[in-house]
Amino acid sequence: MGEVILTMKGIDKSFPGVHALDHVDLEIRKGEVHALMGENGAGKSTLMKVLTGIYKKDSGTITYEGKEVEFHNTREAQDAGVVIVHQELNMLGHLTVAQNIFIGREFKKGIRIDDKKMNEEAKKLFDRMHIDIDPTETMSNLTVGKQQMCEIAKAISHKAKVIIFDEPSAALTEAEIEELFKIIRDLRAQDLGIVYISHRMDEIKVITDRVTVMRDGTYVGTLITKDSTKDDIINMMVGRVIYEDPKTKNMTPPGAPVVLKVDHLNAGKMVQDVSFELHKGEVLGFSGLMGAGRTETMRALFGADPIDSGDIYVNGQKVTIKSPQDAVKHGIGYLSEDRKRFGIVVQKTVAENTTMADLDEFANGPFINKKKENEVAQKFVESLATKTPGVDQLVVNLSGGNQQKVVIAKWLTRNCDILIFDEPTRGIDVGAKNEIYKLMNQLAAEGKAIIMVSSEMTEILRMSDRIVVMCEGKKTGELDISEATQENIMNMATREIE
Amino acid sequence: MANKVSKTAGTNKSFIDRMGGQQFIVLILVIVMFIFFSAMSPGFRKYTTVVSILDYSYYIALMAIGVTFPLLTAGVDLSIGTGLVCYSLIGGLLVRQHGLPVAVGMLVTVLIGLIFGIINGCLVALMDLPPFLATLCTCMITRGFGAMVVGGYGIPWPAAAQEGGWFRSIFKINVGGQNIPIGFLWIILLVIVMSFVLNHTKMGRYTRAIGSNKEATRLSGVNVKFYHIMAYVICGLFAGLAAIAYSAIFATVQPGSGAGFELDAIGGAIVGGVSMSGAVGSIWGTLVGVFVICLLKTGLPFIGLTANWQQIITGLVLIAAVLFDILKRKKEAGK
Amino acid sequence: MNHNKTSKKMGGRKVESIKQNPLVKKVGFNRIVLCIVLLLMYGLFCALTGGAFFGLRRILSALNYAYFLGFLSLAVTFVIATGGIDFSIGPVMFCCALIAGFCFTIYGVPMPAALVISLVVGLVFGIFNGYLVAYWDVPSFITSIASMNIAKGVASVFTKTQSVSWPQSSQEGGWFRNLVTSGEVPVGLIILLVVAVICAIILNQTKMGRYILSLGSNKEAVRLSGVNVKKWEMSAYVLCGLLVGISAIFFVGAYTTVQPGYGDTYNNEAIAGCVMGGTSMAGGLASISGTIIGVFIISLLQEGIMALGLDKNLQLIITGLIVIVAVFADVVARRRKN
Repeated sequence: MGEVILTMKGIDKSFPGVHALDHVDLEIRKGEVHALMGENGAGKSTLMKVLTGIYKKDSGTITYEGKEVEFHNTREAQDAGVVIVHQELNMLGHLTVAQNIFIGREFKKGIRIDDKKMNEEAKKLFDRMHIDIDPTETMSNLTVGKQQMCEIAKAISHKAKVIIFDEPSAALTEAEIEELFKIIRDLRAQDLGIVYISHRMDEIKVITDRVTVMRDGTYVGTLITKDSTKDDIINMMVGRVIYEDPKTKNMTPPGAPVVLKVDHLNAGKMVQDVSFELHKGEVLGFSGLMGAGRTETMRALFGADPIDSGDIYVNGQKVTIKSPQDAVKHGIGYLSEDRKRFGIVVQKTVAENTTMADLDEFANGPFINKKKENEVAQKFVESLATKTPGVDQLVVNLSGGNQQKVVIAKWLTRNCDILIFDEPTRGIDVGAKNEIYKLMNQLAAEGKAIIMVSSEMTEILRMSDRIVVMCEGKKTGELDISEATQENIMNMATREIE
Repeated sequence: MANKVSKTAGTNKSFIDRMGGQQFIVLILVIVMFIFFSAMSPGFRKYTTVVSILDYSYYIALMAIGVTFPLLTAGVDLSIGTGLVCYSLIGGLLVRQHGLPVAVGMLVTVLIGLIFGIINGCLVALMDLPPFLATLCTCMITRGFGAMVVGGYGIPWPAAAQEGGWFRSIFKINVGGQNIPIGFLWIILLVIVMSFVLNHTKMGRYTRAIGSNKEATRLSGVNVKFYHIMAYVICGLFAGLAAIAYSAIFATVQPGSGAGFELDAIGGAIVGGVSMSGAVGSIWGTLVGVFVICLLKTGLPFIGLTANWQQIITGLVLIAAVLFDILKRKKEAGK
Repeated sequence: MNHNKTSKKMGGRKVESIKQNPLVKKVGFNRIVLCIVLLLMYGLFCALTGGAFFGLRRILSALNYAYFLGFLSLAVTFVIATGGIDFSIGPVMFCCALIAGFCFTIYGVPMPAALVISLVVGLVFGIFNGYLVAYWDVPSFITSIASMNIAKGVASVFTKTQSVSWPQSSQEGGWFRNLVTSGEVPVGLIILLVVAVICAIILNQTKMGRYILSLGSNKEAVRLSGVNVKKWEMSAYVLCGLLVGISAIFFVGAYTTVQPGYGDTYNNEAIAGCVMGGTSMAGGLASISGTIIGVFIISLLQEGIMALGLDKNLQLIITGLIVIVAVFADVVARRRKN
């Protein structure tokens, strides 16, 4: 580790309704890989967006190469040598790989863009990274993993001094992660400062030198990786919050009937021949890498995307699901990972969102019975302990956890027996997270059948009775919780398909 | 896995794809339409018909080349039709009533087009107004403005025989009693230039990038606002050029007209393979698409359908082309 | 505006709620301002014309304009509430009036049937637009461009490019004018207000309105709630078409003659009335009362421009600017919220 290249001190940032960063500190040295850890919603990504000028900080100082700086946009940050590899891919699908890498700083011959030189330079970059990607290929034709590599190549090509990797491994297979680590070690050897954001404890131990932990928008502490144990880090991340006890054995009552059976489901290239069963009162975890096809499976099963082939049975009866309407009719409810886009109508009230799926029950002919609507919404606000000033509050004003509860209320109003939770705790703060867990366990105990898609290994192991693992659109394994470990799930999730 | 994907994309292209995809199909459509009209009506099989098709093609093609840029940014410009008339009226007024040389009148016409392009660009890129709404407003404003300036009367630009009538020979020269449509050469030249701009300059690259993913383009450090405005400026500039072509071909320009011209241009671009959702399309494709529209315009009267039918059919053709684009994208998404 | 922001601590995070003066909350700040603008405009025109503008005659004349424009504006309000747009309404209105009028004058169809034909033509265009937008995902501005030209073309073909004059009140079938003004009573105003109240009930009290506003705000979330969004999105366009059919009757009731090939200038005025009244172009937010006040402002503006002897094309420019300003204000308001 060399001298300090970047210091963030007392960074504060608020959004309407959320104090996202509360006086956070971070120090990066040359030639180190510095892990930034914390649970979903701890504020890691926000901190990095403040650093690279995407968000403007409310207060605090950033010192870079000995001078106080403030980048106003990503361009300024890039020019200074601070580059971010985003978690969500920022690619231009219609352009080629080389055009993507050099967007905004094309090589030119007169007024003409020198595509030939750009392709050559991109090829050189890939050669240096020892990966094989054709620079003239159209971006949207690449796999998620390759696209991620292009993003990294783009970051490196900026002659960066500090590179931030925001959960780079979430979409990568084991082999690709190995490639990534090789690249990162190379960069460290060249004296770059590297920020590595990840959830995966074992990666942190392998690749990083120091760890800074954040929790609920605050700075918790910084450790030297090799001097600290996994438990030290976890304790710092979780803090005083007490979670539901992890399950050690399958809690489904023996002989519970199969409420949902999916048989050889195919939908596009992301869902290939997926079969599984779901029992009454069970929490079935779906694990896998980002882009493994879990969400796609759920969307196909829910009728949100078209199905190519395969059968679905609800309570033993074969059903046709062509649209979410059909799915809801058969008692299936879907809670999306992206609540703002797929779950709630933010400009509508709590009551209006609660009755969205079951408005017919609240209507006399074409007219809506608002009194009844408010009563039922109020009932669920109380039973789910949703924190809202009233049922006439716009959902946009609620926090992530409470928005999630409104979505749950929506499906409970409809009396759905099968609930699909897709990343139920993404973007929810730590305190609210456990409430959602408690609620899910409670619902399962009441006889609801729950599918939970999650990328957080701890969440999968904490909540599931059984676990289905997917990789590249195929089901690669199924485990009872009693036999599941992080290692065997990971093995299945990165299994190479012949 | 990735290699497999890239291989299929690289080599397994169908014959049609290798010939330029939709453009190729549309080119065949143009030929089929030409043969159809020729077979149906002897009156169509004449040199004058070809000249007449080309006459229509100039101003429509110029508008269409221009509007391709906003379309590629996933926007649209609805003001080109009434704009064209407005610019032409003002330019013509300066020549006719204020005695300015025709060259100056032409320059002013193009300049006003440019200015309205800048206005449209600012409304869309700086003020974040939905493109169809912003340009619908400028559509009405140019229409009102043009009519107010000329006071409600039509403006004839100088006729070929009159002083200053030379500008009409930019598009058509008379050799031994035959009209030679040399305007087509200018169109081809502009198509080549704008193809270069679209495919080999920053301007074109960023136009596509904005249409593909505006936020990602912004995060890459591109001055998105500037290039977004520029797409509309190019469109305005070409509407100005189209105004000159229109003035040169038709005897008089009437205030209050021009509504519906944008349908011809946008329809042409979309038939030629420009995607409503941005980023996909080419200038050559647009040109081919324009000829479908021009053939309809000139051909339909020969089979006994009035100009009003042309309006209806062009509307349906636009819908059909958009549906084709939507189905194509759905198929690609499902792949 | 009494705008107290109160912060509550909730689950460790602050949630802001806004307290408003009850009157402002009920009527809406925007609509209060619009009413004031309306009165100021009236005063201004009276002053500029030296008092000649004052009096019932000008008001009735402005109301004549407000009737058909009101129905047009109500029509487009529903479409904009879904997050779409329809700027084919003006030409479609003309198409309705031309076809129905042609049937009456040339084919001798009885007046009640002619009125029904007008509604049916409007409905057909509403169904066409709605089907393409809702079931085929065609962008609504594309269907608008297409419908606008198809409506003009169909009307021209049907009438062989002849203008059509509806009967005077003394003529046979002229009784329909009683729908607009009966003696001195502005019946049209009453009908417009009744229809507006019905529209407000549909928008705020029924499933249809709830779904239209919700899908305008977030279509995908509504779809994933198991709602048949296609049906409800289309219903907005169908209702729009029906209202356009009604507006055609009130147009000819006031102005008698329609010419094929025109009508697009009314698009912008209808949209202007709508967006001025607080309906958001982004969808999900609509106000019927706001639309009606907006329509009165536009009607008064056109009457004032005529009274002042200004070029009528000025109206085009001013409504264009009004829409730009109103929509920009909405964009700014939304930007500040996020």
